[in-house]
Amino acid sequence: MSRSTRDIWWRMAWRNLWRNRRRTVLTASALSFGFVAAVLVMGFMNGMMQEMVSNGTEVVTGQIQIHAEGYRPERSIHGTMGGREGLDISALVAAAAAQEGVAGVAPRLYGGGLVSSGDETVGAVFMGVDPAREPGVSRFASVFVEGGMPGPGEVAVGAALAEKIGIAVGDEAVLVAPAADGSTGNDLFVVAGIYRMDLGGFDDSYALLELGTLQDFLAMDRTRIHEVAISVDRVRDADDVAERVAVAVAGLSPDLVTEPWSVFLGQLYFVVSLASAMNSIVAFIIFGMAVFGVANTMLLATFERRREFAVARALGTSGGALGRIVVYEGLLLGVVALAAGAVLAFLLLAHIHANPIDLSSFVGTYSFMGSAIRPLLTVEYSFQEPLVSAVALLGTGIVSALLPAWRAARLPPADVLADR
Amino acid sequence: MKKAAIPFILMAIVFAAAPVAAQTDPEILEILDDVDRMWQGESSAGSMRMEIDTEHWSRSLEMQIWSLGTDYSLIRVESPAREAGTATLKVDNEVWNYLPRADRTIKIPPSMMLGSWMGSHVTNDDLVKESRLIDDYDIVISYEGDRDGEAVWEFTMTPRPEAPVIWGRIEQRIRKRDRMPLWAHYYDEDGTLARTMTFSDIRAMGGRTVPTRMVIEPADGEERTVITYIELDFDVGLEEEFFSLRNLRARQ
Repeated sequence: MSRSTRDIWWRMAWRNLWRNRRRTVLTASALSFGFVAAVLVMGFMNGMMQEMVSNGTEVVTGQIQIHAEGYRPERSIHGTMGGREGLDISALVAAAAAQEGVAGVAPRLYGGGLVSSGDETVGAVFMGVDPAREPGVSRFASVFVEGGMPGPGEVAVGAALAEKIGIAVGDEAVLVAPAADGSTGNDLFVVAGIYRMDLGGFDDSYALLELGTLQDFLAMDRTRIHEVAISVDRVRDADDVAERVAVAVAGLSPDLVTEPWSVFLGQLYFVVSLASAMNSIVAFIIFGMAVFGVANTMLLATFERRREFAVARALGTSGGALGRIVVYEGLLLGVVALAAGAVLAFLLLAHIHANPIDLSSFVGTYSFMGSAIRPLLTVEYSFQEPLVSAVALLGTGIVSALLPAWRAARLPPADVLADR
Repeated sequence: MKKAAIPFILMAIVFAAAPVAAQTDPEILEILDDVDRMWQGESSAGSMRMEIDTEHWSRSLEMQIWSLGTDYSLIRVESPAREAGTATLKVDNEVWNYLPRADRTIKIPPSMMLGSWMGSHVTNDDLVKESRLIDDYDIVISYEGDRDGEAVWEFTMTPRPEAPVIWGRIEQRIRKRDRMPLWAHYYDEDGTLARTMTFSDIRAMGGRTVPTRMVIEPADGEERTVITYIELDFDVGLEEEFFSLRNLRARQ
């Protein structure tokens, strides 16, 4: 087949498409609308997931964590990095901080025990933090309702815990904890701050201490920590950054395990993965509906032209060639719809991204699996979803044309021309 | 034979012998009642050593102990020096700890009752639950006869419905001739052995026959706590007033 012959089918298809301009515009609009809807719905979904991941990881955990092998999930007090001897904490922090994409690095030590004041005593998780580094990873430092991060000999507690045992900033609290050597650590600490995270158990069962203070309290050397939490510049790069960090810190101790949030927040990752699977289903439903609508229109369009097809057949055009024209029409229809839809979708995405839709008048903030979700409808830019939608749109054009094309190809010319 | 008073900690953990249990066989009640009478209302004072071996550390504590019946006891750490003065007061179902470093007394909250006492394999709950054991469990004699050449009873305790207990079953072996406990096995709700307590070195101390050594071993792992009595005296004339928060703090 020569090039000009091939072109002529395309040209005929293109001209056919615009013979009934109104119908074509309407059909293309339906497809464009489907495209915009698919891109927007996926964008919203991604925006929501992004929000969940951000909140789930920015509150306390960070997007990457380093632990000693076997520390999770039991979180034994003895499971410090580098074993009983520990390791060079500042070297570890520096090595992680030097990696591209790392925003903040915070070393942490954990213990469990009692916080007591007067006659009231409650159980709590003690978290030893570096007050200068912690704000780079978690939100603790920014949610103080009174006072601030603890210095040496001080403690900061959640608002609910403070209320339960009746302590205020400046008061003394007794802390009791089983120490690493089997003794019972007990001492008085001045309350330096009270925070309100409004999330999970942090307000009623966490107490923050300066790292060195907690190490002494738990009879541990200053080289021992349980965790390094790392925040990244872009959440979606967490896996890559985690790999770089793992390589960078590997030489400091053989027992280090570096994991991105998708591992240590497996439930959250599961939900996010589920959401992207949902995206495909949404696209399938939208374009599945479009297929039937477009097929119906094209069937009508080919039925109207059946005499013309019959003449063409009578003059020697093969059935396959006629069918091909109809398929080309479908494809061209898709291209037109895509062009219009892409422009519209881009404008809408840009607008909503800049001005998220506030739904707080309909629903309140809620927390889900340690992740506070604001009722703010926002979208995330991405290439994958629009690309999938575009392919689906063009596919819809072609699939819709298959039945009409088959009918056109099978047309009996004599019967049609004789109006039988 | 002079019947032995079983010092408080053994009583606390092993014998549930408050003599009122509606659904338990009268013969068992008689045995337990008999054991019960050995120490009911009696006071004791002495010292003991607690050696704890865990996967991560081992330590040895020496303590002074005072008790009155099953409801009152006071324990104060003598050594090591770093922890000297740390004390525990038990009155009925409540436990207080005195912390010398902080110079404060704290009451153990209900949520922490299953926590370890002094880092050992004894829980705070073990210290207080004796007065409820017989109310919470139905007790039957599951074996009576010779074991290792000794005439013994073996009791099986199963929790009553609704009883707020953590064990699925407790088995005890008691030597007939002097009604001394030999061991107790604790099973969890799945019927798996969770921990064992073994009593040995039964000999005269303070004029009475007592098991002077008790070993507590969780079923999994190599860990254990060994409690050995160094000295015990009975009928030392302690009154209820002795077991006060003020005495908990006081260094003697």
